[in-house]
Amino acid sequence: MINIQNLNLSFDGVNNVLSAIEFNLRSGEFVAIAGPSGCGKTTLLNLCAGLVQVPDGQKITVAGQAPALGSPQVAYMLARDSLFPWLTAIENAAFGLKVRGLDAAEATDRASEMLKRVGLGGYENTLPKALSHGMRQRVALARTFAMPSPLLLMDEPFGALDAQTKLQLQDMLLQLCQEHERSVLFVTHDLAEAVALADRVIIMSSRPGRVIADVKVPLSRPRSIRQLQTNDQFHHTYAEVWRHLEEGWTHHEG
Amino acid sequence: MKVKFLPNLAQHFLFVILALALWEWGARTGVIDQSFVGSPQGIAYFTLNNFFNVRLWGDLGWTMLSVSLSFALGSAAAIAMGLAFVTWPRFEAFCDPYVSALNVLPRIAMVPLFILWFGLGIGSKIAMGFSLTFFIVLSSTVAGMRGVSQDHVTLTRTLGATSQQLFFWVTLPGAVPVLFSGLRLGLIYAFLGVVGAEVIASERGLGQQLSYLASTFAIDGVWSLLFDLALVGVLLMKLMNWLERRLLHWQ
Repeated sequence: MINIQNLNLSFDGVNNVLSAIEFNLRSGEFVAIAGPSGCGKTTLLNLCAGLVQVPDGQKITVAGQAPALGSPQVAYMLARDSLFPWLTAIENAAFGLKVRGLDAAEATDRASEMLKRVGLGGYENTLPKALSHGMRQRVALARTFAMPSPLLLMDEPFGALDAQTKLQLQDMLLQLCQEHERSVLFVTHDLAEAVALADRVIIMSSRPGRVIADVKVPLSRPRSIRQLQTNDQFHHTYAEVWRHLEEGWTHHEG
Repeated sequence: MKVKFLPNLAQHFLFVILALALWEWGARTGVIDQSFVGSPQGIAYFTLNNFFNVRLWGDLGWTMLSVSLSFALGSAAAIAMGLAFVTWPRFEAFCDPYVSALNVLPRIAMVPLFILWFGLGIGSKIAMGFSLTFFIVLSSTVAGMRGVSQDHVTLTRTLGATSQQLFFWVTLPGAVPVLFSGLRLGLIYAFLGVVGAEVIASERGLGQQLSYLASTFAIDGVWSLLFDLALVGVLLMKLMNWLERRLLHWQ
């Protein structure tokens, strides 16, 4: 789905933001990118989304093509719910389909189905101001999954939620990915979240961002986030990821 | 111990009655000079007579027509200009010194010129109202559009929205709250500009009637018209509040 070879990026030509990045994301795979803040992980995601211009001579392909804004292959989700406050839940959930030119009635049907799926049946005509943070982010999930895009780019989508709501939404995301067969590139600074959700965790160093490690998560699917809390393998992998991240710090300081 | 007050409305009623009674008493006993400050009874008398006078309604219509036109034209021009500023920042940077200079200029000082250019009729009044409304709505348009959530813009861009979709579905609705507060102020200033220009020189309008009454020492009439103007102002605000509630029910 995503192929990046020896990618270097600097915004001003002097300070490198990303250095020699290399990785693949296969179809159906869930890859988390973790690293300290400012390591360029969001920039990497934005490159794949076409929000940041790919420098000449650099090789990135997303779904077999150069990254481009508005590619129907890609759905993007941000840290804050970014719902439009003047649209109702169902209008928000249908927004992506509407922009991509789907017939209004069909978009509404699909959005309504997805709202029910994320447990918000009955809230179709509610404005965002009347929804809790968790509910709003669920509407955002519905908006993302209502689109048939096979690749999801997610930038800390649960970063702004309280711990309990976060667990619920992580479970929901896993289920939705399972049902809809999506490939996911998931940026987070929360290592537990990265291990719990992903098939592979890519750990980046602080700026200039390099890939320090690419850790395979040996947990089977389907997973339940709650059960993982007592799973030895989960804790083992978590410790391994932590160690790599710390290595990144010492390298940087040295 | 808690002191018990009269209900709010009753307090105001009592206060106004007392003040008017004192004024009336002062005017009748000669403590204050009626020919300069009028008397409540005279004002009431004038207001009642004027209410059945065709001229009042004609002048009111004339003033309101000027206000509506200057507000509509001024806001439309300002929104278009604001959009141009946001789309082409270099154009904004170029215009900035001129806009700033015109904005700090006391616009009422331009009335003599406006009268020369557009005559004593409605044209000069519209020009005056326009010149006030325009700058207020312009700055709120720019602020409103600049203040649109970047998350909304990013998300919409990743969906592949055209610039028209981005404008009509995201930028415009996102700018409405700030834009609307500018429009509300713009309407008040259009009213101020029009009446101000009418007071200075005009063929018709409430301001002209007021100016005529003042020059003939009909002080009761001046008070009465001031009262009418305040009432019109309040009604305009009520209209804007109602519109805002309809448009911004999502806030």
